[in-house]
Amino acid sequence: MRNRATTSLSRGKIRQSWSKYNLYNLSRFRSPPTANRTFFQQKWSAKAISRAYHGEQVREGQWKRMFSKRIRSVVPMNVADLAADDGSLVSSGRGLGLDSEDKKSRTNVRPMPFTQMAFAPLERRLDVAIFRALFASSARQARQFVIHGAVTVNGQKMRQPSYLLNPGDLFQVDPERVMYATGAPKNKFERREARLERKKEEKEEEATAEEGEAKEAKPEAEAKEGEKENTRETLKALMAQAKNAMSHEVLPAKRKQELRGFQKAVRRVMSRAGSSSVLTDSLENQFSELTLLLKGKRADKKDSKKSGKERRATKDEDSAAAETAEVDAAPGEALSEAFEKAAKGEEVDTSELTDDEFDVLKRALTQMRDNPIDNSKPYATPWRPRDYMSAFTFIPRYLEVNQNICAAVYLRHPVARPGAAEVPTPFGETVSTPAYGWYLKRRW
Amino acid sequence: MVLRIRLSRFGNKHNPFYNIVVAQARSARGAKPLEVIGTYNPVPKQPTNLYDENANARAFKEVALDRSRTKYWLGVGAQPSDPVWKLLSMAGLVEPKPITHNKA
Amino acid sequence: MPPRIQSRRVSNTLLPYLSSSSSSPASHSSLLPSRQFSSTPAQQTKLRREMFAWLNTTGATLKHHVPGETNYVTGVVRNVMSDGGSKLPFPNNPTFFSETVLSEELRNEIYARVTQQKKSIRAVSVDMGIDMNRVAAVVRLVELEKRQRAQGKPLALPYARAIHEMVPVTPLSQDGERQTYHEPINDLPAHPSTGAQIFYPVPESRKFTRVDAGRVFSGAPAMDHETAAKISHPSDLAEGIMEKPNSIEWVGKGDNARQVLQPADVRIPHPQLVNFEIDRINEPLARRERAERQAQRIKKQDELEQKRRERAQARREDRTTKVEPADSRFEYHFHDTVVSKETTGPHGKGHLAPGRRYGVPSEDRKRGIIKIPTRVGA
Repeated sequence: MRNRATTSLSRGKIRQSWSKYNLYNLSRFRSPPTANRTFFQQKWSAKAISRAYHGEQVREGQWKRMFSKRIRSVVPMNVADLAADDGSLVSSGRGLGLDSEDKKSRTNVRPMPFTQMAFAPLERRLDVAIFRALFASSARQARQFVIHGAVTVNGQKMRQPSYLLNPGDLFQVDPERVMYATGAPKNKFERREARLERKKEEKEEEATAEEGEAKEAKPEAEAKEGEKENTRETLKALMAQAKNAMSHEVLPAKRKQELRGFQKAVRRVMSRAGSSSVLTDSLENQFSELTLLLKGKRADKKDSKKSGKERRATKDEDSAAAETAEVDAAPGEALSEAFEKAAKGEEVDTSELTDDEFDVLKRALTQMRDNPIDNSKPYATPWRPRDYMSAFTFIPRYLEVNQNICAAVYLRHPVARPGAAEVPTPFGETVSTPAYGWYLKRRW
Repeated sequence: MVLRIRLSRFGNKHNPFYNIVVAQARSARGAKPLEVIGTYNPVPKQPTNLYDENANARAFKEVALDRSRTKYWLGVGAQPSDPVWKLLSMAGLVEPKPITHNKA
Repeated sequence: MPPRIQSRRVSNTLLPYLSSSSSSPASHSSLLPSRQFSSTPAQQTKLRREMFAWLNTTGATLKHHVPGETNYVTGVVRNVMSDGGSKLPFPNNPTFFSETVLSEELRNEIYARVTQQKKSIRAVSVDMGIDMNRVAAVVRLVELEKRQRAQGKPLALPYARAIHEMVPVTPLSQDGERQTYHEPINDLPAHPSTGAQIFYPVPESRKFTRVDAGRVFSGAPAMDHETAAKISHPSDLAEGIMEKPNSIEWVGKGDNARQVLQPADVRIPHPQLVNFEIDRINEPLARRERAERQAQRIKKQDELEQKRRERAQARREDRTTKVEPADSRFEYHFHDTVVSKETTGPHGKGHLAPGRRYGVPSEDRKRGIIKIPTRVGA
């Protein structure tokens, strides 16, 4: 299928996509003018605009067959009202003097935006649901994921993007694809790095293939050692990565400094481990231990919330420069120290470190484990969200998403409720009402 | 004339589906049978891997069968074809066939 | 080449890991060797120029998020300065809100309550103010996550963290605090038969309740006085219908047959809450007693639902016999069917008969016929 879903600036159509072109189109979109235009023209342009966003990958005939004029809606019921009145008060005669103040206020409900739900049947489609669950950066990409077999529904591979989800269906996308779709892309230096690494590996493979026969004699002895060495290996690998990342010239000085600190810390832990062999514990254990310690620390200090706010402030752009120097200097020590102590299984001396530093340390540790530098990945590592992603992130209530495993459950069909419609659409009622009207009149 | 209980193929290319039918032995595979007594889907279905209890579950094939009609047709001398014999023996309606080895 | 947008946000933390939004590699651009050989700038259309101008000025804040705040276009276009950012992702659509998602801790708490404390989904739903379907989904998802972690399958942890920084989140309450409700749990779906406005005159002397209104909407005759007198409040019907869902009256014939529309007290997901509220109005003092009665109601409801599920499961298993032949890789599931005059019909073409049809054109290539699976067995 040819992709006609280009986000051209001259047309200014809004698409189901996270591109910055689309963002710009979204920001400058105005509803089409209605003055001096016939009702047909108004409906036509409203239809054209909204179909460019809603299921542009679906053929018009297919969508027309899906369209239903019946719109699902719910009213949140107040149990106190239900209990107080069995309905006879509302229906009693007006002349009885039974009208109360409450009754008037109860009639003051917001209207249901029914026509905003005109494209609700499309939200059932698997590719659209994947886009809504924030697993792909556009509906087109979601569609590709499905076709390429990266999506399962209820544990079975599903290759049809037009599969209509039923309430209770669990769909899951391959996490690597999701990271690729939502992560920042590599720049050319990172791409080059990956290329070189691949070449090196290929060479090594050839070499090992030749040596293979000679090595077969002693795999048993290695296996024994392997378990002990495992954690050390992990740390070693981490350090190698840091070194690798530093080796090329293009890195900015700041980042290089950061990485060097990290490298140093790892080396210290490794030297300890070599002498005392405490490192048979897995890295996981260290992390959990540290986390426990930190929790205990937090319980002591009630003002942790305040420090949390300060931490947010550090992220603020303006104060960044001032804070960086301090943070860079101190936690280098803090990190290495805590690293050592955790490795030795000792009690970490909490008094020396401030709450802020602890937070930084803790986050650094967990992040280091979860988000490593890995050149073999198709996205920039360590993973970070792609630019302009945050302007498009929302999760509608009819989906329950677990981002860790990139799985989501389609709970129910989207519904309208007083004052709110669950179908995410960038258009107001001036567009959606004529568009709904267009599909209401069956002229095919 | 011999009555046979046999399979007649439906479904599409690469997607077989069989009716279990009672038909005259010399009639065509797609001809209208005397009676359709069940169906057999040879495409195995995989139980979902979302739950732990399904971890070792085997893939399954679905058979639908009217037992009383089958018994009746067997009683009046209808002869199951080999694949149907296999199915009927699994359903407990006929004795399993002894394994015979082809001597080439 | 479009003008590069310089990020003002410098990496301000020890490691690149500290913030998912740290954009250190973006700062490479300043160090890039210039590859422009001609000194004249590349041609750009007016629209592109305008776009990059916008992205560099007004839209610059949209490039990276601030953790814990939403970062939507609406905030930039309308200059909304509210706590946590604007709730509207689309500036033109005031009826769509970016609603909160469950935080990681809250999800784990739900899972713990259902699996370890053995609380029913209904009870957890009422406690936490979360829809029952969602509670069930959370339990499924957390269980799946635990399995995948145990199997060592890849996870998208940095991605999950970034998303939770960008969207509003319902946090787990601190100890002793009341859990903030995530969503309304007693949603009443609008029934199609209530779409029509009906003019129905009622004598002033008659009490006309929700039960009567439902009957009018579904075109059922009015109740006789005896049955009407037995119902003191519409919620009295809920229990009976819960026990016997088939006891709902039917009206109309053939294709027009429909069940009588029940009052809202019966159709909401948590009818027991209405009874609780009635208790509270009638006896405002007996607090503990009320809570006990409520717990019993929930327990009874859960038992009924459990029994119904078990019965359905047993029925499903009765219909199939499973055979595992020793010489086969597969299991065989035998279902019972009925071949008779009733199912095959006089011409042998009845749709209830087993098997594919003879003498009927295959419709699977026709327009508008769904050719892909409509459901996947769980």
